[in-house]
Amino acid sequence: MMHPEGQTERLIAELAGALVPVRRLPPPAVRLGYWLAVSLPAAAAVAFAFGLRPDLAARLGESGFWIAGAAAMLTAVAAAYAAFCAALPDQPDWKLWLPLAPLALWLGTLGRQCLLVLSTAGAGGFALTTDFMCLPAIALGGFVPAAALVVLLRRSAGVRATNACLCGGLAAAALGAAALRLYHREDAAIMVLIWQLGSVALLSVLAAAVGRTLVERPARRPGTA
Amino acid sequence: MTAEDPRLREWMVAAQQGDRLRYGQLLTAVLPILRRAARARWPQADGAAIEDAVQETLLALHAARRLYDPARPFVPFLLGIMRFRGGDAMRRYRRAGARETPIDTIPETTGALMTNTTPDAGLEAASLRAAIARLPSGQRRAIELTKLAELSLEEASATSGMTVAALKVATHRGLRALRRMMLGPEMAGGAVKGPDHHDAP
Repeated sequence: MMHPEGQTERLIAELAGALVPVRRLPPPAVRLGYWLAVSLPAAAAVAFAFGLRPDLAARLGESGFWIAGAAAMLTAVAAAYAAFCAALPDQPDWKLWLPLAPLALWLGTLGRQCLLVLSTAGAGGFALTTDFMCLPAIALGGFVPAAALVVLLRRSAGVRATNACLCGGLAAAALGAAALRLYHREDAAIMVLIWQLGSVALLSVLAAAVGRTLVERPARRPGTA
Repeated sequence: MTAEDPRLREWMVAAQQGDRLRYGQLLTAVLPILRRAARARWPQADGAAIEDAVQETLLALHAARRLYDPARPFVPFLLGIMRFRGGDAMRRYRRAGARETPIDTIPETTGALMTNTTPDAGLEAASLRAAIARLPSGQRRAIELTKLAELSLEEASATSGMTVAALKVATHRGLRALRRMMLGPEMAGGAVKGPDHHDAP
């Protein structure tokens, strides 16, 4: 849209004349709370629907299981917070990088498990098998969180929509992957690394690619809220 | 960095509640801030591009007014919108500039845009018709038949009843008289005071 110089004052008069009240949006931390309130029960419901893994009690005694799970959860929380911040014009850029820290912890935990497998079982521990369950399971576990993010971001998508969608996709997929650990018994660390994190990465990139069309509302004429 | 005017925040909160007067005050107050910030951010941009970015920012501010949190300062919110939405406008402007030629840089006297390249032709034709009307009747008749109607000498002779030789003489004299009337005696090649009034026999 181009307006010749001198018409800006007329634009201001038009905007002011068409003003209607708006409901203020809650801060990102509050919206993160809304998102968790919807998403955590939904992800847990998916886990219970599939049936908890039989060795869950034993795994809960392992620190590695807790660390990897906590890293996945932290990635989801940080990514959702980053998504809400990304859509606000006055939030600093560094907040968009927040999910990288827990994501690196998650990757590091899985990488360490891979090295342990390599040192104990040798190269045979890296036998690659296909685990097609991961992608749809993570997508299913992350579906409600993703839908909740779309609804929350649609009310706020002002700027950095692609960044917000990338972070939002990561949040939903990481939460789906965290839930997956409760009901899916992975065979080897390398499989988790490839199939679970691969699925998370794929879903995140997909969200960044197409999410913008979902969260960006069509431009409205001045005067509409 | 100087502290921002606290009224901006108050006006924005009032605008969120639908106060048109305060909103108008807010937009008027931020206009110089936006223009200054745009010039600082895009020093190479021309005036029209700066104004375009400013207006795009005002439109985006209007659409994003629900996002403002009164617990935070207003100017960073405003400049954040300019950074993203004004930046979009500036990129559009640059892309358009790379593939389009602004029409106002074409010289106003260029012939490329003219459809009538001989605008005085009509005036000259009228002058010529007036000069022909002032010719003696014999010369006028000869010019009309041989030059305007483009008849051959034989056809003109048959039409007018004049001999071919008389037509030739009358046409020659008529043309010479017209030349004097249209161009003046010097340009016509002789100091003649007026049209030749000798009719052809």
